[in-house]
Amino acid sequence: MGLKMLRNIKDKFMDYSFGIALACLTILAISKFNNFMDIYEIIILIGSAITFTWMASLWPNFKKLFVYTFLLSFISIFFYKGSLDQIELNFFLKYFLSSQSAIMWMTALYPLSLVTYWVYLFSRQEFYGNLATKITWLATMMGFIGLLVRWYESYLIGIDVGHIPVSNLYEVFVLFCLITSLLYLHYEEKLEIKKLGAFVLIIITAAVAFILWYTFEKGANEIQPLVPALQSYWMKIHVPANFIGYGAFAMAAMISVAYLLKDKSIMANYLPDLDVLDELTYKAISIGFIFFTIATILGAVWAAEAWGGYWSWDPKETWALIVWLNYAAWLHLRLIKGLRGTVLAWWSLMGLIVTTFAFLGVNLFLSGLHSYGEL
Amino acid sequence: MRFAITMFSLLAVASVIGTVLKQNEPYNNYIIKFGQFWFDIFNQLGLYNVYQAFWFLAILIFLITSTSLCISRNTPKILKDYKSFQDRIREKSLLSFKHSYQFSTKKFKAKKIIEFLSSNNYKVKHKISNEEGDLIIAKKGDLQKLGYIFTHLAIVVISVGGLLDGNLVFKVQELMGTKQIQVLDQELSQIPLAGRMSENNLSYRASILLSEGDTKTAAILRAKEGYLVQEIPFSITLKDFNIEHYSTGQPKSFKSDLLVRDKKTGESITKTISVNKPLTYKGVTIYQAAFEDGGSQLDLLVWNLNSSQPSFKMNSEVFKNNKLTFENKNLTFEFKDFRKFNILEISNNSEQKLKPTNVGPNFLYKVRNESGQAKEYQTYQFPISVDGNYYFMSGTRDSPQEEFKYLKIPADKNLSLEGFMIFKSLLNNPQKVRDAISKGINESAFETKEKKEAFRRGTQNIFNSFITGGYSSVVDTMDLNTPKQVKSSDKERAVKTYVNIIYLVGQELIKSYQNDNQGKITFPINDSPRFIQDALTAYSDSFFYGVPLYLELKEFNHVQASGLQLTKSPGQIWVYLGSILLVMGIFCMIYIQEIRLWILVKKGSNNLIVSLATNRDRTDFDQYAIRLKDNIKKMTN
Ligand code: HEM
Repeated sequence: MGLKMLRNIKDKFMDYSFGIALACLTILAISKFNNFMDIYEIIILIGSAITFTWMASLWPNFKKLFVYTFLLSFISIFFYKGSLDQIELNFFLKYFLSSQSAIMWMTALYPLSLVTYWVYLFSRQEFYGNLATKITWLATMMGFIGLLVRWYESYLIGIDVGHIPVSNLYEVFVLFCLITSLLYLHYEEKLEIKKLGAFVLIIITAAVAFILWYTFEKGANEIQPLVPALQSYWMKIHVPANFIGYGAFAMAAMISVAYLLKDKSIMANYLPDLDVLDELTYKAISIGFIFFTIATILGAVWAAEAWGGYWSWDPKETWALIVWLNYAAWLHLRLIKGLRGTVLAWWSLMGLIVTTFAFLGVNLFLSGLHSYGEL
Repeated sequence: MRFAITMFSLLAVASVIGTVLKQNEPYNNYIIKFGQFWFDIFNQLGLYNVYQAFWFLAILIFLITSTSLCISRNTPKILKDYKSFQDRIREKSLLSFKHSYQFSTKKFKAKKIIEFLSSNNYKVKHKISNEEGDLIIAKKGDLQKLGYIFTHLAIVVISVGGLLDGNLVFKVQELMGTKQIQVLDQELSQIPLAGRMSENNLSYRASILLSEGDTKTAAILRAKEGYLVQEIPFSITLKDFNIEHYSTGQPKSFKSDLLVRDKKTGESITKTISVNKPLTYKGVTIYQAAFEDGGSQLDLLVWNLNSSQPSFKMNSEVFKNNKLTFENKNLTFEFKDFRKFNILEISNNSEQKLKPTNVGPNFLYKVRNESGQAKEYQTYQFPISVDGNYYFMSGTRDSPQEEFKYLKIPADKNLSLEGFMIFKSLLNNPQKVRDAISKGINESAFETKEKKEAFRRGTQNIFNSFITGGYSSVVDTMDLNTPKQVKSSDKERAVKTYVNIIYLVGQELIKSYQNDNQGKITFPINDSPRFIQDALTAYSDSFFYGVPLYLELKEFNHVQASGLQLTKSPGQIWVYLGSILLVMGIFCMIYIQEIRLWILVKKGSNNLIVSLATNRDRTDFDQYAIRLKDNIKKMTN
């Protein structure tokens, strides 16, 4: 009892110090950089600080991730000494902490964790399971460092070029990997479903493959200044919200794969119960749906400001609507008709195709107002 | 419900069509793409403006009605459920619940339990009846029930908002025949009443193109294959238009300084708008939407690419036509566009990496001959680096569907056109050419004077044919003069020799020019072989340039036009309200769990029944139910 209380007090203490530290950082950032932010951006900054504090208090591992990511990013920024030339000169930047290197580490670690999860699945040795989880955390941290440092780098290119790295297909693909893995890690911890990493990491690795192709074939990793339409605080809300949606949908689809396999008695001994899988699919889709709804609405509010109308039937908008209708139907079937099981699992897997088309297909095949990430 | 789902599916299918088939293009494009037959069918189906098609609107209206019906049917039941505590439940049904527990109690204190439940956010009702005994009914999370009403009401509100902002008013007027889409290009004031939408039009998204200094009092509504005039309650003057650029040359901001004057009161305001920062005035929002040229003035020099004639001046303006008689043909030069900044992916210096770079102004024009055929030209003012060497680029094409084919004229040592123009004049100077050929022939290489003379004459012939038609003419003449049975490899070798001869003559021409003009070195020295080759190629290509007149841009006066969009959107507020309702509804439906709880102590018995029900049985509810039961058990012992 005494030990437990002590631990409780320690946890509380950590939560408060985290919150206070973040509050200090936020205040520092506002006082130092308020020339670069409008009132909405300041509100977003404060809102994010509150959200992260809240998340950190609920989920200690997230707090850890946050602290390490920030520490390493600050170290990286320190190494830059305000000049991009340091990327080539400084050993740590060149191989670890420059934006590009960090993202490359991420692209190496996710496939590694996929392999480790599969080893775990078949060997059933906890050691491999824990290792896989650790690697996934590490990959996620490197990815976040990559994005944060990229944000900083964009300001080094030109003070007017600087912007949050969610403005094109390359950047949002990195974001997609990170959000999907964070969502997964959360459920893995909460529901003790380690074995599913073997499935969820498949979609992340596929995204990693795309990032690599996009980087080496198209040089998409170059930081580009923002076109006028994107210069708005809305980008900071609209894009992340969308990708929480996409990440959750993608995770749901991969869990459905596990469901369908188990349902057909393939690898049945290695997978969690059907009920657990079903429930988890539902959880993922409902999280995704909420965020996707909000993102679409906020997209509309932004469109009313940038494109002269909240809805222009631009292909991306339209496909967002189709994705939305698809998952709305899924939820209807489950909540109202009480449907469970195989049909819904197939449906959520097909949902991934619709989502992927909205994500990539639209950029590949259709042109419109929304073509910020071209292939 | 089933009906609504069908409507939703139809909406999805229609949307897919709308994204796959590019919407609102000029109708000619569709005719070219599909042919007349399919064009007509698709047109009848309204596939070029799916989202304004009748059937699409019909779907929306059906959706609204069926969802409203659904709401009105289910709402009373839901509200009743919402209010009710279900206190008439019998012992037997309580015992049949999945989460139902029975245990004996020593001291049953209703008050304590009620307090406990209330502190756990339950709404509680205590019912003491004589026959049954004590019944405590508690419930929480019944907002979930309202989720249904919220989401469905939201769908209706959003759709109504969308319809308000659609072009229903015009559709009806078109059906009645009072309004008609205009297809002819006319002065705004000439357009009949049937082509004008009144100021009071419920909603619209219209556009205005304003040159700097211009004022307009009405906007244009694009509709199907034509347009309508949209009257607006104010006039707009564009005082200034500004584009800012990043250091890399990409556009950073578009800004219009506007003066907006109320037509009735004469009251006016000035405001600078930019992308993401519109102005709302009299219920109309004015957006920065586009920009184009507003009639820039261009001072040009006209060069004849394959003669030694001197250049002459031509002054024009974008959107103006200049007439010119050239070799007895009447040509019209139609100037279409001027762009001050152009970002191309090019490699500077010898570095391989492509970088977006601003290559400076270019202008676009068409040259039309008497029979109406036209070729389009796009010419850059300054030379552009290609692998480290600079060229003046001018593209041509016969139709907008084609890519431009570029004529690449090498820049001289001073990065100007002059070097090439001198060179092509030298090429067209027979005396200079004759001298150059004579000089270039090595005296000692020939045994007799006759052989030398024959060679000289041969060279002269080759060169003459180059002058009159470029390399392809050289090859043609050779084909004419060589017997059929000569092997192609021999021919190739011959061509190579000829090309080399032409090059040597060119070199000789430049050398003698440099000698004659000591002190004024125009041609690149270190790099002269490349320059000569490129210049000869450019000369040769000029025969495929259409009319061999090159327009050099000397000076310009940039006049810009700003494209504004005017939006009147009374449905917007409804769409937003509906959206808030939607998010609330989804949240209620997904995240709020409804729980009902009954605790019954029968009269005269010390047996307690605890039953729980939820409308969504999740795996974690089992544990919750047991925990709650345990707590209550503790309190009663
Ligand atoms: C109703 C309006 C809108 C909807 C439904 C919408 C929907 C979406 C969706 C589904 C994505 C996910 C990423 C993807 O599929 O590529 C996205 C990304 C994005 N949106 Fe929007 N959007 C809307 C308005 C806007 C507006 C007005 C802007 C800016 C002017 C904007 C800028 C972006 C950017 C920069 C991204 C991420 C980059 C990218 O994927 O290319 N969106 N939007």
